[in-house]
Amino acid sequence: MKMKKFINDPMNLTPELLEGFEIACGDKMAIQSEKLVVRATPKDESKVALVTLGGAGHEPALSGFVGEGLLDVSVVGDIFAAPGPPKVLEALRMMNREAGILFIVLNHAGDVMSANMAMEMAEKEGIKVKMILTHEDIAPGIDTPIEDRRGLVGCVPLYKIAGAAAEAGKSLDEIYEISERFNNNMATLAVAMNSATHPSTGDCLFELPDDEMEIGMGQHGEAGTGPTKILNADDTAKVMADRLAAAIDAKEGDRLMVILNGAGATTLMELFIVLRGVKKFLDTKGIEIVTSRVGEFLTVQEMAGFQMFFAKMDNELLDLWNAPGDSPYMTVR
Amino acid sequence: MAQTINHNDVVTMIRGAVNIIKDNHEMLSKLDSATGDGDHGTTMLRTMQAVENTLNENPDEALKELLYKIGWAIMSSDGGSTGPLLGSFFMGLSEGLPEATELNGAGLTDTISAGIDKMHKQSRAQIGDKTMMDALLPAQTAMKAAAADIDINVLLDQAAQAAEEGAKATENMTAKFGRARNLGDRVLGHKDPGSVSISLIFRGFHESLEQN
Repeated sequence: MKMKKFINDPMNLTPELLEGFEIACGDKMAIQSEKLVVRATPKDESKVALVTLGGAGHEPALSGFVGEGLLDVSVVGDIFAAPGPPKVLEALRMMNREAGILFIVLNHAGDVMSANMAMEMAEKEGIKVKMILTHEDIAPGIDTPIEDRRGLVGCVPLYKIAGAAAEAGKSLDEIYEISERFNNNMATLAVAMNSATHPSTGDCLFELPDDEMEIGMGQHGEAGTGPTKILNADDTAKVMADRLAAAIDAKEGDRLMVILNGAGATTLMELFIVLRGVKKFLDTKGIEIVTSRVGEFLTVQEMAGFQMFFAKMDNELLDLWNAPGDSPYMTVR
Repeated sequence: MAQTINHNDVVTMIRGAVNIIKDNHEMLSKLDSATGDGDHGTTMLRTMQAVENTLNENPDEALKELLYKIGWAIMSSDGGSTGPLLGSFFMGLSEGLPEATELNGAGLTDTISAGIDKMHKQSRAQIGDKTMMDALLPAQTAMKAAAADIDINVLLDQAAQAAEEGAKATENMTAKFGRARNLGDRVLGHKDPGSVSISLIFRGFHESLEQN
């Protein structure tokens, strides 16, 4: 099928979307040096800065979470492609400060390569920076080495928690410890129902027969654990929640954050119905949903499906999650 | 016949690589839709535009600095993992380029080999992993095995052939890196697009020099 999208020149997608983003959200963010999304009001230099990087085409992620109490800089690449090391280095130089920089990277080959090169160059220049790699995808199995597990929507709550810790004036080491605790107790599993088109090429990312879905599908149509027949909302919720709870070893009495992240073409109606199914399942295990969000945070164009995210929470993580923050696509008052 | 080449000839070779990628970018994207997200050709096109712009903007630059600038420009072109990888290749060429203004076969081998080594350090992939290295490492082996005073057209033809055979062999491999690794056996029968790009670049080096 021919691509149906409201776009202009496919080679010009990223600058055009950023231009529109700034018109819509210029009270909270600004664009510097073409590809750096920064806060409209910079954070005090005495506090740790948060930097992330990633390709475009996943809006509102990642740049929609730049703002007070969240990210300081998002380095934007092209559609589904990581930004190059020079741009990342520019962001690290821009945020260079005595308090240091927490650099949050999602585990995808291009992002990691770019991040590692930029880190190496930044450290040579004496810039104080620590990297956190998110790798919470459990599709390949929880015993799979970290290198083979992708970073999915889990970066978003991590931005919020680390951002609140930075805003509270905590040191880089403290923020790193808190972030790693959250990072190591979170898990995501994705499911796809219908494919999407790559907006630069107009080609289909993958194909799924009408009566099938695929659990474990990645952010760019990378294959998951193989297609299966479509299940209803409750059964889908149960299958996925069961694997996620096992992955983070959630037990009776545990308190979870649950996020249902729509991939782009799955309705809020469906996501609410699935969330209800998740709760029903967790109730039978005596596991509490202590906080939840349902919406589109990190999308894959018009793909139908969602990412289900679980994280084990403690009081400190919850306080940081609930602390005030104000970014274009996440606000807590 | 060419026993030695000068710095202008190296620029000619690079322009040859740019042109052959420009002519084949749609084929590269098609290959990528089987194993990745279908944009490898677009990425390579953007990468090669960065190379061409750098060449056009720095006509009087010394080759060593020019190669470094090309590497940095490629890395700045936001090409996912392709940017850091190919950028490293050109930075390695810059580091490996001998002082002498005339390069014989051995000098060209040292230069290209330094580029491959630098890229290999970033990639960490080995032969059999279904990546660009499957074309690059055989090209390196072929060049190193050649006599120091070999005719340079023959040397580059041999390197291109080795790269082409390496790219062809990726058909029978499953992927250990990048997005294709999630596809498991489903990538069998499809060439790795990155390795095909590398074989095109070497073919571009060879043909442009031969026609020169």
